[in-house]
Amino acid sequence: MTNHLDEYSQTGADWRAALRRNNHRTYIIIGLFFLIYCGIGLLVDMYLYASAYPRATLPDLFKALITFQLFPVVTMIMLIIAAVSLLISYALYDKLMLLGTEYHEITPETARNNDELRLYHVVEEMKIAAGLRYMPRVFIIDANYMNAFASGYSEKSAMVAITRGLMEKLNRDELQAVMAHELSHVRHLDIKLTLTASLLANLSIMVLDILFYNMIFSSRSGENRSRNSLAAIIMVLRYLLPIINVLLLLYLSRTREMMADAGAVELTRSNEPLATALIKIHDDHVEHREEYSADYQHTLHETVRREAYIFDPLEAGIQDTTSINDLFSTHPSLKARLKALGFNKKL
Amino acid sequence: MSIILLLILAAIIGYLVLTYNRLIGQIETIHNNQKQIDIQLDRRFKVFESLINVVKKYMDYEQTTLKDVVALRNQAQVAHAAGDETKRIEAENKISSIASNLNLVFEAYPDLKANQNAIQLQEEIVSTENKLAFAKQSYNDSIEMYNANKKSFPVNMVVSAFASKLDMNFPYWQLSQEKVAEQESYTVKL
Repeated sequence: MTNHLDEYSQTGADWRAALRRNNHRTYIIIGLFFLIYCGIGLLVDMYLYASAYPRATLPDLFKALITFQLFPVVTMIMLIIAAVSLLISYALYDKLMLLGTEYHEITPETARNNDELRLYHVVEEMKIAAGLRYMPRVFIIDANYMNAFASGYSEKSAMVAITRGLMEKLNRDELQAVMAHELSHVRHLDIKLTLTASLLANLSIMVLDILFYNMIFSSRSGENRSRNSLAAIIMVLRYLLPIINVLLLLYLSRTREMMADAGAVELTRSNEPLATALIKIHDDHVEHREEYSADYQHTLHETVRREAYIFDPLEAGIQDTTSINDLFSTHPSLKARLKALGFNKKL
Repeated sequence: MSIILLLILAAIIGYLVLTYNRLIGQIETIHNNQKQIDIQLDRRFKVFESLINVVKKYMDYEQTTLKDVVALRNQAQVAHAAGDETKRIEAENKISSIASNLNLVFEAYPDLKANQNAIQLQEEIVSTENKLAFAKQSYNDSIEMYNANKKSFPVNMVVSAFASKLDMNFPYWQLSQEKVAEQESYTVKL
């Protein structure tokens, strides 16, 4: 089994430290998203109040808004919109994740062969190790490529799905490590977190866009100084904000992957199975690149799952050429992940 | 001025309530995880019963093994009722060693190895032993979280203020010193 790790030298992996470090990062990123979102709201408020108070300078307006001397109407409305759309997406998201794939659910009674029973047992074991109170639903996706993902907004609605290829090609320990990684995502509430972040990101861009076009088509007040400087800020932000958002989202997603890897070590108390599983999945993707590339593209709505997969197909050079997002990987590189697990590639 | 004092007071009370509730939650998690170990022990016995029933058809050797397991399980339950945890763990550990013997038996009987029920039950045994180990691990983890929280500052002040409710002492699940020494000197005889 260890021949996959022959090229690596082993050091210790401190999962406690990894969990702590990445948790701090998450707080910072989510805080930033929230600040950006409120910032955009305040920008709109300032833009609107600037016409009501033509002689007020920008700092004056800003101060008045955050001390509630002027009520930040737009910011409040935006926060309400964000809350409502988050609730709606929480309710609908689970059904979205399996969209376009051929799948079936496994239970101990419906397991069709020993492999499926073993998979169910492995998830059950990890559920006990994680101290989850509800058994997640287990799904098999009928596909040859090796991948897995987790979804669900709480322990109660959690589910894990893995492809037939993964189930058949990994041994019991490796399967356990992969499932531990997925259940760590559930335990860390990652699905909720990434969706919240991307929703805030998209909404802030939408609001900025509306503001931008509104500004262009109502360019009548040439003499309002604070409006003019606001216009410059809006112009710059319109091109800068999408880039900032994408980078922050990617950073968040990578941070959470690292945390799930550390969580897998926490649950299995062993770093080797996860490392060999990752290498196996990577090698398998490289080996069957052409075939899997077709498989992935053949499956509809693949982008919905991409962030949630344990392994980003892009890492093996499989990409969907239609999407600009694919320039950046949502996952840390295999090398970085193995290093965090305590395996350094020998030169 | 008085408003500031009031706010500080409210903050302190809020902190007390949150800390108190968190510690209670952690204590209950430990209780639950402890029961989880019992659940797994119970489940393992049931899996054993059905496995031995399948194996029995192929050889009479298992007649005695079945008796052994049932006897050991009874021992464990009597010990548990009497509150003697060491005796109980000893008996449960003996059942574990029977499990590894059964796997050897499997190899020797081709008929048995081909039996679909037996294959499934073998997987069942592996899984149950794993679940037992993970339940113990989870129990120890919850104790670690509680202890680390309880002993840290300023939580320790809250704990000493409500010592009867919050200051519990949970032993980690571990093997006795003699058992560790015995396991360490153990070598596989082939």
